[in-house]
Amino acid sequence: MIESGKIAKPPADDDLALPAWRRLAKDTFYIVIPIAVVLVLWQLFAKLSGVPQALFPPLETIGRALVRTAEEGTLWSDVGGTFLRLFKAVVAGSLIGTVIGALMGYFRDWERAFILPLNFLLAIPGTALFPLTMIWFGLSEMAILSILIYEVTLTVMANTWTGVKSIDLSLIRAGRAFGADGASMFWRVLLPSAMPSIISGYRLAFSRAWRIVIIAEMMISVGSGLGYRLYWAREFFQTDVVYATLLTIGIVGLVFERLVLRTAEAMTVNRWGTVRQLE
Amino acid sequence: MGELRVERLRMHYPARRGSGHRTGLRVFDDITFTVGEGEFVSVIGASGCGKTTVLNLVAGLNAPSGGSIFVDGHAVTGPGLDRGIVFQEFALFPWLTVAGNIAFGLKSLRVPAKERSERVAQIVDLVGLKNFADYYPNQLSGGMRQRVGLGRALAINPSVLLMDEPFGALDAATREAMQNALAEIWIETRKTVLFITHDIREAVFLSDRVLVLSGRPSQIVLDLPIDLPRRRSRHDASFQEKEQILEFALGGCASQMGDAGEAAAKSDKQ
Repeated sequence: MIESGKIAKPPADDDLALPAWRRLAKDTFYIVIPIAVVLVLWQLFAKLSGVPQALFPPLETIGRALVRTAEEGTLWSDVGGTFLRLFKAVVAGSLIGTVIGALMGYFRDWERAFILPLNFLLAIPGTALFPLTMIWFGLSEMAILSILIYEVTLTVMANTWTGVKSIDLSLIRAGRAFGADGASMFWRVLLPSAMPSIISGYRLAFSRAWRIVIIAEMMISVGSGLGYRLYWAREFFQTDVVYATLLTIGIVGLVFERLVLRTAEAMTVNRWGTVRQLE
Repeated sequence: MGELRVERLRMHYPARRGSGHRTGLRVFDDITFTVGEGEFVSVIGASGCGKTTVLNLVAGLNAPSGGSIFVDGHAVTGPGLDRGIVFQEFALFPWLTVAGNIAFGLKSLRVPAKERSERVAQIVDLVGLKNFADYYPNQLSGGMRQRVGLGRALAINPSVLLMDEPFGALDAATREAMQNALAEIWIETRKTVLFITHDIREAVFLSDRVLVLSGRPSQIVLDLPIDLPRRRSRHDASFQEKEQILEFALGGCASQMGDAGEAAAKSDKQ
C-alpha cells in the first residue's frame, strides 16, 4: 500500500488568511465609499449648479419616483416584462445555437455548410433588423423576440463551435480508450469539454441581448418593459422616472450578471481552467 | 488472462505533400513480441524510435499498416476496455472528480452504481488517493494526477495495462516516488503491463523484461530479462549492470536518429 500521508496537500487560498470580519470590513469600505462620493457630488451639483431640477433632479426626487413606480406596480411589471423577453430569447437562442454550434464543431460538413452564413449574419447587427421584423410582425412582442433570438443564437453558435473545435485531442483519445463512442462521446466528453466556452457564450449573448432588448422596447411599444418606460417617461417629460429607470437598469443588469452568469462561469471555467496548461 | 501478442507489426506513414513526409516514413516493418500473463515488459528507445506508436497501435487508437495484435487471443481492431491506458499527458477529464475519472470506464461497462462506487473506493485506496476522491484534477499535483490516470486504467480490471511514458511529465523526485508506488501496486495486482519509457533506470526498476527499439525502420535489437528480485534497489551492482547493457544497446539508436525521427515523434502524438 502507498501511504497517502506522503502526498502534498493542495495549497490554501491566500485570501482566507485574513479573519472574516476584516475581510468583510475591507470589502464594504471599497464598495460603500465610492458610492457615497458619487451620491454626495450628485446632490451638490443638483442643488448648487443652477441646472433646472427637471433636467437634473436631486436624489430625493429620483427616490420618490422609484417608490411611486414601485407602489403603482409599473416598476415590477417593467422589470418582469424585460426579463421575460430576455428569458424566452436566451432559452430559445441558446438551444438552437448550442445544437448547431456543436454540430459545426464536431462534423466537418456542418462546419463547411454553416461557416459562411454564420459569419455573414454575425456582420449584421440585430438592431439592423428592426425595420424588417416590424414589417413582418408589426409592433408586436414577436418583433422584439425575433431580434433577441437572432442575436443570442448567433453568439452562442459561434462560441459553441469554437469551443467544441478547440477541445484537447488527448481527452478525445482518453474518451475512446475508456469506452466512449458516437453519442456517448458527445455527451460524456465533447459537451463537458466545451462547456466553459459554451457558458462564456451564454454570458456574452445575455449581455448583448440585454442591450438590444432596451432599444427594442423603446422602438416597439408593447405595454411594459424598462425600455418602454424610458421612452414614455421622456414623452411625458417625467425626468425623474427616466433617471429612476436608468438606475433600475443598471442595478438589475449588474446583479444578474454578477450573481447568475459569473457564478455559472466560475463553476466551469475557473475549475477546469488550469488543465490547459499541460498542453 | 492477460496475454498480449504482437505479430509482424508494420507502420508506414505514406508520402504526403506538405506534411514533411515527402518520401513517406517507415517507422517499423516487422515487430514481434509477446508479453506473458502477469509480466511487466518495458519498451525503451530514443524519441522517434516509434515506441509510442507501438503502444497506440496496441491501444487500438491508431490502425497499423500491417501485422496483428492479440489480447488473450482476440485480435485488436480498435480501442477496447480489455486494455487500460495511462497517458503521458494524463488526459484526465477536468470536469470530473478523482472518483468520477476513475469511474469513467466502469460506466462504459455499465457496472451498476453500487458496485461501481465500491470499486472506485477500492481503487482510490490502491493508488493512494484516499482523502482526495472529491478533488478535481486541477487541484492535484502532477504525481497525484497520474495516480488518478493509473486508477482510471486499473478500475476496469483490464487484461493488459498500457502505459505511455506515464512519468515523463513529472519532475525527478516525483518520478522516482511514482516508480516506487507503481512497483508496489504491480506486486499487489500482478497485471500484464506494456510500459513505454525512454528512461533506462525506470525500465530496469520496474520490468521483468526490457525491449530495446532501435534503427530506422526500428527493430527490437535487444530483449533483456531483468531477473532481479522484487523490491529492487537502484544502487545494487547487478541493477547497474543491467543499466549499462541497455545504455550500450540504446547508443546504436541515438546515432541513427535524424530529422526523420523527429517527424515520427510528432506523428506519434497525433
